Amino acid sequence: MQKLSAAKKGETGRIVFIDGDTRFLSRIASIGLIIGSVVEVIQNQKGRPLLVYCRDTMIAINRSECEKIMMEVTVNEQYDYRAAGSAQLGKVDAV
Amino acid sequence: MSNTTIALLGQPNSGKSTLFNGLTGSRQHVGNWPGKTVEQKEGYFTYGGKKYTVIDLPGTYSLSANSEEEIITREYIASGKADQVCILADASQLERTLFMLADYVGIRTPAILLLNMMDVAEEQGKTIDSRAIAKKLGIPVVPFTAVDTKNYAGLFKALEDGRAAPGILDETGISELYEAVIGEPYRQTLALLPGEGIGAYSSAWLAAKLLEHDAAAMVIVKSAMDAETVSRLADMTKGVRNGSLLTGDCKFRWIGRLLEGSVSEARTGERRMGRFDNVATSRAWGKPMAILLILVGLALSMLIAMPFMMASSYLPMLSAPISEALIGIGISAILVSLLCDAVLTAVSFALMMVSFVFGISLVFGFMEEIGYMARISYVFDNTMSKLGLQGKAIMPFLVSLGCNIGGVTGTRVIESWGQRVTTMALSWVVPCASTWAVVGLIGSLFFGDKALIVVLSMFLVAFLHIYITSKIFGRSLIQPSERTGLIMELPPYHKPRYRNLFKFVFNRMGDVLKRALTIIICVSILFWALSYTPDGHIENSLIYKIGIAIEPVTMVFGLRWQMFMAWLSSAMGKEASLGVLAALFNAQGIWTGISGQGVATAALSGSLLSTISKPEALAFLYAFFFNMPCLMALSSTVQESHSLKWSLRIAAYYLIAALLLAMVAYRVGLLIF
Ligand SMILES: Nc1nc2c(ncn2[C@@H]2O[C@H](COP(=O)(O)OP(=O)(O)OP(=O)(O)O)[C@@H](O)[C@H]2O)c(=O)[nH]1
Repeated sequence: MQKLSAAKKGETGRIVFIDGDTRFLSRIASIGLIIGSVVEVIQNQKGRPLLVYCRDTMIAINRSECEKIMMEVTVNEQYDYRAAGSAQLGKVDAV
Repeated sequence: MSNTTIALLGQPNSGKSTLFNGLTGSRQHVGNWPGKTVEQKEGYFTYGGKKYTVIDLPGTYSLSANSEEEIITREYIASGKADQVCILADASQLERTLFMLADYVGIRTPAILLLNMMDVAEEQGKTIDSRAIAKKLGIPVVPFTAVDTKNYAGLFKALEDGRAAPGILDETGISELYEAVIGEPYRQTLALLPGEGIGAYSSAWLAAKLLEHDAAAMVIVKSAMDAETVSRLADMTKGVRNGSLLTGDCKFRWIGRLLEGSVSEARTGERRMGRFDNVATSRAWGKPMAILLILVGLALSMLIAMPFMMASSYLPMLSAPISEALIGIGISAILVSLLCDAVLTAVSFALMMVSFVFGISLVFGFMEEIGYMARISYVFDNTMSKLGLQGKAIMPFLVSLGCNIGGVTGTRVIESWGQRVTTMALSWVVPCASTWAVVGLIGSLFFGDKALIVVLSMFLVAFLHIYITSKIFGRSLIQPSERTGLIMELPPYHKPRYRNLFKFVFNRMGDVLKRALTIIICVSILFWALSYTPDGHIENSLIYKIGIAIEPVTMVFGLRWQMFMAWLSSAMGKEASLGVLAALFNAQGIWTGISGQGVATAALSGSLLSTISKPEALAFLYAFFFNMPCLMALSSTVQESHSLKWSLRIAAYYLIAALLLAMVAYRVGLLIF
């Protein structure tokens, strides 16, 4: 597990933890990033927002926000462009 | 004829504006939401002998109450004013953009779902079974391509069906998910709420929003329920910390189930970053490229505006023949002067402004349309966030170097109102091309080759000004929560749709011209009245009498009365000040100076050098450089900020700041020279 801000370009992983105020949480969920979402890190340059790819969408996220997001790298997993939710359709498990 | 009102709802870039323009053509009206600074677009069309009113709701990512736009959107939907809500999703990014639909479930206003950008989805090799989706949802679902305005039949049919049998989204699925994922807190919250919901909101929707800590939802609940239940609800929901993530999880699961079996996935393995994007977002080239493209854009828009601007600038020349003709038919001289001098000049100013706004809107609308603006936002995010602004704000600053009107117009690409108005306020500091012309002239006249030092000092002060102004305006305009950094999608590049773009820009120009004319004519008449002399002698004008009377005060700032008046008129237009100086020192008609009909620079230089001291010249340069840009920039600011109050505040701030800086420069000048 590592901070999203520490992820390297090209890494793919699953989001396991997001922290922040109400506004931030609602904003980040509405753009498609929730616990369990699979993201691919496209760019991570010093002093720049991160670029990640999730649900067919390229998303830029500010660095300080990325400090509050934890990601579990799934090194060998091919990027799964479906979200966590739809990857296990029908099954409802507790979070 | 009966009237049906439909409202368009969708995340940014879902194609809402394209659909709105496609439906209404030029029959649209732009105004403000009542009492708000958010733009409201309303339009009309008829189909099958029935009249439809279309409301373009502000672009938002969800229906939470995090911004003024979202609150307006939500309240409008719940108000029952719309008969149907068209929810747009982007078929090429279906899962993410269906979030809006998922957030809507539980609001009992009839809705239809438009799967827009089907052309792009098809290109990706995606097929979507909209019938199956419609069956699960219980509302009409229309595969759609907003840019293809000839093929709106499916939408029209859905609208007609909707009139006959309104479709309300089925909420059992999502409610079950809330219960399964969130469990007890959801169940208890739901149990405390009235079973039939409140107004247009179902109890399941309200429960989810309460668990998301949505303040506006709490207000709704408070208004309908007794205090004890409300406090129990508050306790209940306080225990759930990350409610938005839990409900977000449910919403995406719900979307997953909805799409299951109805969508064949797109080809995989597409490159996520095109070659252009690799450069556009790269560390080394991203910024230079953005600056270069903006400057090229500025040059292009000037090129587009040039013919119109030239034509309008010749308008005042008509003044002499027209006034002769009018006097010939016996109209009083003062009325003729009012019409031919004040009004004609104002019309020419307004036309020049609109031509430039036209060029800017076209060029930067193009950049926004193809998706490049989002990249600029990305590469400049870090730099601009030091001023509390987002990355796109770099564009208005650069454009202002050419003309502040363009800078102000360019702020339109910034989504948040507070950041937009702050960017406008800051871009006013940036000296435009005309400012340089005057500063160059007066500076070299008084300071010779030392003028460079003077200019450098003004540059330094300008940076300080920007910093302080950002603090002053940012504090009240930008909520601390808005300062939380950027979360933004970088949309895929789109092929530009020139017809859409032109339509959009043309529709806009009428409004801009109307507002510009009213403001500019009013102020021009005021100035004209001040400087009107029946016999052409300055001593008989109001401005002279006032000027002499207030000189003791203006000298505090190092400005003689003539310089003060020239400074004041530079608030109308930077070049105007030269004309006014010439008029006041050489006793030609003042208004001739303002309307820019030729300034005898050589004669002016002589009289300036013999009357004005160096410290006074320095004071004037500072006052001039930091004055508000011009009347037309003010008028654009009113137009773009949707707030007369804030525009006037910014103007007053600049006038005062310029005088204070002049005072300091004067005192420093007295020490140096
Ligand atoms: N290929 C294709 N492009 C579309 C379609 N609809 C819209 N677009 C393009 O998508 C981009 C965004 O469309 P807009 O209409 O500006 O989207 P919006 O939802 O109003 O977005 P905001 O202006 O940010 O609120 C534009 O470049 C459109 O030309 C479509 O059906 N097919």
